Amino acid sequence: MSDFIQYFFNGLVVGCIFAIAAVGISLLYSVLRLVNFAAGDFLTLGAFITYFLSVTLELNFIFAVIVSMIAGMGISWFLELVLWRNLRRNKAGTLALFLVATGVALMLRPIIQFVFGTETRKFNIDILKTYDFFGARIPQTQCLVLIFASASILTIALFIAKARIGKDMRAYANNPGLASVSGINVDRVVLATWLISGALGSLAGVFQGLVQGQFNNAMGESLLLSFFAAVVLGTIGDAYGALAGGLLLGLITELSQLSIFFGGVPSNYKPVVAFATLVLVLLFKPEGIFGYRARKV
Amino acid sequence: MENTKTLDAAVLDVRNISVSFGGVKPVQDVSFTIKENSFTSVIGPNGAGKTSLFNLLSGMNKVSSGEIIFKGEVIQSIHAHKIAQKGLVRTFQGAKVIRRLTVAENLMMAVQGNPGDNLMGFLNPRARKSFEAKAREEAMRRLDQVGLTKFADEYAGILSGGQRKLLDLSRALMADPKMLLLDEPFAGVNPTLVEKLLTVLAALRKEQEITFLLIEHDLETVMNISDRVIVMADGKIIADGLPNSIYENDVVIDAYLGSRRKDA
Amino acid sequence: MEAFIQPGFWIFVLALAGIYGIFSLGLQIQYGVGGIMNFGHVGMMAVSGYTIAVLVIKYEWNFWWAALLGVVLAALLGALLGLTTLRLSGDYFAIASIAFAEIVRYWILNTDTVTGGTQGSLAIPSPNGFASYTDKPDVILNWISERLYPIIGDEASRDLSMVLVVWPFFFFFIWISSRLQKTSWSRVLRATREDDDVPRSLGKNVFRFRLQTLIIGSVFGGIAGVFWALQFALLAPEDFLRIVTFYGWMILILAGATRVKGLLVAAIFFGFLYGATRFLEFWPLSLLSSPERAYLRVFLIGLVIVILMVKRPQGLFGKRQEMILE
Repeated sequence: MSDFIQYFFNGLVVGCIFAIAAVGISLLYSVLRLVNFAAGDFLTLGAFITYFLSVTLELNFIFAVIVSMIAGMGISWFLELVLWRNLRRNKAGTLALFLVATGVALMLRPIIQFVFGTETRKFNIDILKTYDFFGARIPQTQCLVLIFASASILTIALFIAKARIGKDMRAYANNPGLASVSGINVDRVVLATWLISGALGSLAGVFQGLVQGQFNNAMGESLLLSFFAAVVLGTIGDAYGALAGGLLLGLITELSQLSIFFGGVPSNYKPVVAFATLVLVLLFKPEGIFGYRARKV
Repeated sequence: MENTKTLDAAVLDVRNISVSFGGVKPVQDVSFTIKENSFTSVIGPNGAGKTSLFNLLSGMNKVSSGEIIFKGEVIQSIHAHKIAQKGLVRTFQGAKVIRRLTVAENLMMAVQGNPGDNLMGFLNPRARKSFEAKAREEAMRRLDQVGLTKFADEYAGILSGGQRKLLDLSRALMADPKMLLLDEPFAGVNPTLVEKLLTVLAALRKEQEITFLLIEHDLETVMNISDRVIVMADGKIIADGLPNSIYENDVVIDAYLGSRRKDA
Repeated sequence: MEAFIQPGFWIFVLALAGIYGIFSLGLQIQYGVGGIMNFGHVGMMAVSGYTIAVLVIKYEWNFWWAALLGVVLAALLGALLGLTTLRLSGDYFAIASIAFAEIVRYWILNTDTVTGGTQGSLAIPSPNGFASYTDKPDVILNWISERLYPIIGDEASRDLSMVLVVWPFFFFFIWISSRLQKTSWSRVLRATREDDDVPRSLGKNVFRFRLQTLIIGSVFGGIAGVFWALQFALLAPEDFLRIVTFYGWMILILAGATRVKGLLVAAIFFGFLYGATRFLEFWPLSLLSSPERAYLRVFLIGLVIVILMVKRPQGLFGKRQEMILE
């Protein structure tokens, strides 16, 4: 039982992080038809900037997180202006977008390494303190992450649901032609999409760094496929779906370690559970948990 | 079940086929039988379900219910490419040509039984070469028939709309069809070319034993060449008979002219 | 600066060019002919390479049989990938292919007792204590070096022998690929790149054609893996990261997606990029440590890909009409 609680709790925490990262990826795909292969590196970037500000410069942690979110937004927007806009104007096809996104990812990580160094880092937050909960050991950092991450998720969900720009984004994602002729400011929708995904990427990176305890610059990249799995599971094209899919995937990967599943998946195979989920969903239920097909490329 | 040894054998037997997806029912409970070597036209207003019908017959979409029997074989759950191999060949609305292949290549692709289609065929270059040579010969012959010889080695993308129709038709013929489903072969084609196409089709009826099922918007065009006309509207068959009787059928006129007026 | 003019450097460049050239030939067939976007190609290399390492070291197989089986297994992986996911539309298939390759890599990474895990092939348990699989082929490579030594002295290295072995194969495969693209088989695939329905309506089993393309490309990936394993004589899971597939893609776009001969130049360019970041010592490279150089390599490859796609997507040799940006 304590195993179950442990895994369930871990699953929620990990799921929140998946959710936050997945929303950004999902929005980029629905609005811009872009599969963001650099998403993982934006997480790494957020974690490292926060580290630099809060540990090296000893600034306030929250302040550091906010700055890293702004940096994420800034870099995303920069790339849009310099790169993505041009490609869209030239009607770049799927392969071109894939390759450029990968190229960006390939460039981003070395830059992070060049600027922030190659060592493993950790935040100045006590990672050893744990709480006891029905026999399960819950680290304090995970509690913090869970609280703040779920608050973030709620904020995101509300934003998409209620904010004017959030509704515009959904409308545009659903039917770009109709949306642009019905007065939706497409430029603003695109801007919002990049800013949101940039900010959320950084945020997810900080959470992930906290959860992992220590991290290096491979951190985000290794999670990329898991994020894709969350997006697909939650129904491609649906932002709420990405949130739900993320949480669900987190639970799936963590709970798969329970011994009732063929003795339990060993913990270093958890990513494989996520990859397998990705493939299985694509094969057997490509409409995801919400069961519809977003319009295709 | 039926006596297929009679002179006018049924080559296509369609029994109560329907298809529905996403709340739409493009084809509802359609049944008819086509006799060998006959020429049947399917007419009807836009959205009547004619192309959807062809998609079902050719296997490109699957029926939700009902049966399709071709040459005595049940085919509604067979893959589209296999159906084509069995001799049920279709053309597409708008004459799809493969622009990045040459005109000749478009035709040569249609020839059945190519040893090169099989990976094992790589082991037998001689068989492949002789097949290609014969395919090329036949392609040139067909191009001659429709007057497109000089375009043989040009990319098909340069052909005009009318020329593409000719290519489309020739290509379907190269696939050794027993039954040909022609989807609006005369749409957007100038009247002279329409006449030419009709002549070609009429000649084909005499030379080769092909059964024709043709979709056409305009009854007048196909009045003379058709043995029989089936009229569709809203996914159902609303009339079926000799061209003359259809011409004067009130139900048809209503369905047709009604939507004609909408179009105009 | 002297490294630049060392023949040894350029020999290494050529060796790598040959290996990755064959690797990207596989991608070229899959994408250039079949229009399939495979981003998991590295998995095929991993499968054949590790098959050799494990079978020769742990089970004392003969190298040649192990290599053959390795290529066969790479083809089978391609078949498995295709049978399960090829019906998905292009972009979803691409993502699924990455997942496949990553699953393979994770399995290699975590099955220590068989593959040596994180420590690589050196850690594969061996009955005779030696974790080496190149003994048999080394006999041939050494024989070549020995014959050349009297003529060219010290430059008669193992690398040079590798070049002399790999490049004839590379040329041969380029020839095969060229011939392949003139067949009626590839004609059908060219058609499917534009429209699936037309070939289908003419009796072509489009799925099977695509699957065959995937498998043939996987064979080339597997062969590249054999040569890779031979060149470096030891394997580790980090040698088969996701990025490696993009080495192949970079070569492919540089060459121009449907150009086969352009692959030669593009492969050499890649070899140079790889070799330069690894071996050249002049400033500013001399400032960087070995892992840092690896990052520089990755950065440059990313940069080349981005610049190519933005500025010259048809590659160095492609025609504007055959642009990869379709």
